[in-house]
Parts: sequence; structure tokens; C-alpha cells
Amino acid sequence: MATDTKDNHWKEDFPIQQLESSQVTRRDFAKFLCLVSGGLAAGTGIVALKANYFPEEKVKGEHFVCKKNEIPLGGTRTFVIEGSTIPYVLIHLEDGQLRAYEQKCTHLSCAVFYKPKSGQIECPCHNGLFDALTGEVLAGPPPRPLPRLDVLMKGEDIFVSALPENHNRT
Amino acid sequence: MSTFREGQNQAHPNKTSTLILALIMVLMANVSIQIWLLYTTLNNALANNKDIAFPAFIASLVLFLIGFFWLYYLPGGIKSRRIKKKVTLNDIYH
Repeated sequence: MATDTKDNHWKEDFPIQQLESSQVTRRDFAKFLCLVSGGLAAGTGIVALKANYFPEEKVKGEHFVCKKNEIPLGGTRTFVIEGSTIPYVLIHLEDGQLRAYEQKCTHLSCAVFYKPKSGQIECPCHNGLFDALTGEVLAGPPPRPLPRLDVLMKGEDIFVSALPENHNRT
Repeated sequence: MSTFREGQNQAHPNKTSTLILALIMVLMANVSIQIWLLYTTLNNALANNKDIAFPAFIASLVLFLIGFFWLYYLPGGIKSRRIKKKVTLNDIYH
């Protein structure tokens, strides 16, 4: 705050003392806590409404990713489904199985990558580890498993679609 | 004339301080539980466990209402004494 004493006309327009503006009374603090409490209740309400009445749209239909010979064993391929901006990663596990996951860590949305021959997907930001076979969290701060897509083989073509409801993750 | 309340306040000057501290502690505990409820609701909603969302919202709302009505017990500041009725000349001389 300016402490210029030459021209104090502005003080007439802003008659608030420095002490008053920088100190919060306990009474005001208690009221502010109540306001925060109301905000948190409203926030929880919005999350509840959105989860129950405006759920996120699932991937519709089947989407071609690549041919099987384009992705070697232990290799990965990133892709984006048409009409969406969510990045996905297709993993060709060493045992020959194919898995497709959202490439965003469930902690803070960093890009995750597959560590070849380890069977694990790693998030480099905070060392989160996911099981490459199921997407479950193995270690680190991520609170949820990686969202997964179903992988379908049609001849040599690899397609992905939404995972059916109540699908066993293994 | 001093009232009972004024006499009490003079005899126990720390009482208001203790009261307000206790009130703030309870409010902080409420807010902490609400933060946890919001975090849990969000995580479960993102993991498609929707059943927890509305009970958590109701719990959070109840905590807010408790905090809101809790403010009723907030000790008031130095209030100018209210005059309940107009003082007439008769009141003064009788």
C-alpha cells in the first residue's frame, strides 16, 4: 500500500485503514468458513447431479485402429477416436494379447506409457503404475484404474469399442 | 446499570475467546469432512459408482446447515445497548 504523505486526497475516497484491510477478525473468519462449507455442499451437489443425470457419453460403435502386423509384440500405438479428443493407447502385450486404455493418468491426466517386458503402464509424473493386463492401479497416487476399451480382431484388422457393462477386467 | 451478561463478561474476559475458538474448530472439522466427501464423490462418480453421490451430497448439505445455524452462537461484537421502549418523563420521576 502506498504510504505517500504528500497528497492524501485519495484517502477521502478510500477511508479504509491499512490495519482493517489486512486483518481478518475471528468472527469474519467463522462466517467465511460457513461460506466455504456452502460452496463445498453445492459442489458435491453438482457432481451428484452430473453423475446421475448427465453422464459422459460412451464410445459408440467400433473403430478401426490399425492392422495387427503394424504393431509388434511389446509395442504400442496411440490413437484418437473420431469426434473425440481423448487419446488412447493400444498395447500389444508380450503374451500376444491386445489391450486399449485411455492414455491419461487417473491422477492428474499425465500421458501414461507402456514399459516393455514389464507388464506395467507407467505414469512418469508421479510414478503411478498400472497393470497392463487389467488397467488396475499397482502403485503410486492414481485413485482409479485406467479407463479401458474393448479390443476386437476382425481378420488382421484391430477395432476398438466401448467395454460392455459389468465386464470382468481380466 | 450493569446486566448479568456484562458482569459475566467482566468476571471471565477469556470466555468469548474460548467460545469463538471452539466454534471455529467445529466449523473447520465440518469443512474438512465436506472436502473429503467431495473428493470421494468425484472419484466414485468418475469410476462409475454413482450410488454414493446423492448420500454424500445430503451429508455435505447437513454439515453446511449445521455450520450455518452454528453461527447463531457466534459471540456478538460490542453492540450499542438497545433501548427497548421510549423513556417518558413518568419513567424518570417514578
